[in-house]
Amino acid sequence: MSFSDKLNKILIQGGSWKTILGGLGVTIRISLMALLIGTALGAIICLLRTRKNPILRGIASLYIAILRGTPVLMLLLLLYYGIFARAGLAPVMVAVFTFSLNVSAHVAELLRSSLEAADKGQAEAARTLGFSAWDTFRLITLPQVLRIAKPVYQSTIVNLIQWTSVVGYVTITDLTRVINNTASRTMQPLLTIIIGMLIYLALSYIVYGIFALTDKIKAMRRRTAA
Amino acid sequence: MSLIEVKGLRKSFDDLEVLKGIDLTVDKGERIAIIGGSGCGKSVFLRSLCLLTKPDAGQVFIDGQEITAKGAKVDEIRRSMGMVFQKFHLFSEMDVMDNLCLAPVRLKGMSREDAEKKAVGLLEQVGLASRAHAWPTVLSGGQQQRIAICRCLMMEPKVLLFDEPTSALDPTMVGEVLAVIRMLAKRDMTMLIVTHEMNFAREVANRVIFLADGGIYEEGTPKEIFDNPKREKTIDFIYKIKYFSYEINEKDFDLMQLQGGIQGFGEKYGLTQRETYRLQICCEELVYGMLSHCYSENDTIEMKLNISYAESDHATEISLSCDGKAFNPFEQEEDGLGVTILKKMAKSIDCHTENGVNRMIIKL
Repeated sequence: MSFSDKLNKILIQGGSWKTILGGLGVTIRISLMALLIGTALGAIICLLRTRKNPILRGIASLYIAILRGTPVLMLLLLLYYGIFARAGLAPVMVAVFTFSLNVSAHVAELLRSSLEAADKGQAEAARTLGFSAWDTFRLITLPQVLRIAKPVYQSTIVNLIQWTSVVGYVTITDLTRVINNTASRTMQPLLTIIIGMLIYLALSYIVYGIFALTDKIKAMRRRTAA
Repeated sequence: MSLIEVKGLRKSFDDLEVLKGIDLTVDKGERIAIIGGSGCGKSVFLRSLCLLTKPDAGQVFIDGQEITAKGAKVDEIRRSMGMVFQKFHLFSEMDVMDNLCLAPVRLKGMSREDAEKKAVGLLEQVGLASRAHAWPTVLSGGQQQRIAICRCLMMEPKVLLFDEPTSALDPTMVGEVLAVIRMLAKRDMTMLIVTHEMNFAREVANRVIFLADGGIYEEGTPKEIFDNPKREKTIDFIYKIKYFSYEINEKDFDLMQLQGGIQGFGEKYGLTQRETYRLQICCEELVYGMLSHCYSENDTIEMKLNISYAESDHATEISLSCDGKAFNPFEQEEDGLGVTILKKMAKSIDCHTENGVNRMIIKL
C-alpha cells in the first residue's frame, strides 16, 4: 500500500477526519474549561495559602501538596469510580472537575511564588503615595505577578493539554482515544499515532504562539511609546 | 503649628529595641538630616512616620492629624507626605509618565491632561523631560531616583522623607540626585533626610539629628554637630573613630598576636604601612617597659591596651592602663632606648597614676 493510500485510509475513508476532529474538540473543550476553572480556583487557593491564619494556610498547603504530589490519572479514577460513581455525572464533567483541581494546585503555587518575587518596594511606594492596600495590589503588584507568572503559566497550559490524554480511561473519546481507535481499525498504528502526536504538537505551538504574540504586542507598544 | 510631631515613638524587632521613645517636632520649612551608624534605627524611624513600619507605641501627628490613631485615615494622611526610597521603586510595569500621573489622577481626581502638564514641568526641572516615555529599566539609577522624587512631588506633599536617597547609586550619579534635593531645599520644602553624605547634610540641613542608643543622642545645627560634637558617640561617629583593644594577663604574652592584630586593624581602616609600623613599635615598647617595671615575677597582671584611629583626620591615639607598681617611664633619670623611641614618635604624652592604676595616653 502506498503512503497516500495509507493516509487516505487513516484520514479520509468513512469520514475518519470528522471523528479525529471530534476527538480534538473534546480535548480542547476539557482543557479550556479546566484551565478557566482551575485558574480561578488557584487564585482562591493562593489567597488562602498567603493568609496569616494558620488553619486556612494549612488547609491550602495540604490541598496543594496532595494535588501536586499524586498522579492526575489517580485523581480522575478516584472521582469517576469512587466519589462520583453514583452521582450520574457525565464523564466529561468529571474530567473537567479533575483537571480543574489539578491545575488549581499548580496555579496556586505559581501565583504564590510570583507574588513573592514581586517588588515589595513598589507596593510600599504606592502606599506612601496614598493608595489603599487593594488599589496597590490591583494597580502595582498584580501586573508584576502576571508578568512573572506568564512563562510558567504557558507551560502549565501545554502540560494540561497533554495530561488530558488519559481521559480515555473513563470512557471519554478524546483525541488520544480517537487516534488509538483509528490505529486499530486501519491497522496502521505507526503512521496514525505519529499523526496524533503531530496534532498535539500543533496544539502546543498554538499556545506558545499566542503567548509570543502577546509579548510582541507589548514590546511594540513600548517601542512606539519610547 | 508644627508639621510633624512625634511623641514617645517605640519600636522593637523581637528582642531588639530599636527605638526607645523618640520625641521630635518638625516645623514647616525645616530640613532635618538624620545621621547615625548602621542599624541605629534611622530608617525605621523614618518609615514609622508614614506607618510603613508600625510603631509599638507612641504617637505621630502629621499636620495636626494623628496617623497612629486607631481608625485614622492613614491613606489620606499619607497623601500629604512623600517618601523617597534608597532603591527608587519606580513602578516597573509602566513608563515614566504613567509613574508620575498614576497617583494624582487616581487619588486627587486630577485630569490626565493636567497631570501630564504638571509632570512635564517637573521633569524639565530635574532635566529629564526627554525621558517622559521611557521605561524605568532603561534609566540609570540617578535618573530613576530623580523621577521617584518627581513622583512624590506630583502629589504636592507638605513634607518629603528621604531614606538614604543616594546609597544605592554609583558615585558618579550621587551629584545629580543631591542637586535636585538642594533645589527643593531652596524652595523651603520641609524635608527629613536619612543620609550618609555628611557634607551634603551639612550644606542642606538646618538641623542635624544624631541617632544612637535607640534615641536622639545629640541634635543641633550642622555647625554644632559636625564641627563641635559634644557627646562621646557623636564624636566617634563624626570623626569616624575606630578602636582596637588588647588585654595582657601574663608576662610572656603573645606579642605576635598583638602585632598581627594591629596590622589587621591598620589594613582594615587604611593606615599606611608606616603608620601601622609606628603603632606596632610604640605598643611594643610601651607594653614591655611597663611589664618589666610594674610587676615582679609572680604578680597577676592586668594590662589594657587601646588604640583609636580617626578616619577623618588620621589622629591616632594609644592608651594603656595597668595595675602593679606606680611607674612613669617618661620621668626617669635616664631614658632607655624604648622611651627615646616613644618620645621621638609621639606628638604628646600624658602619664599619671591614680588609685593604683598607671594610665598613659600617647598621641601619634
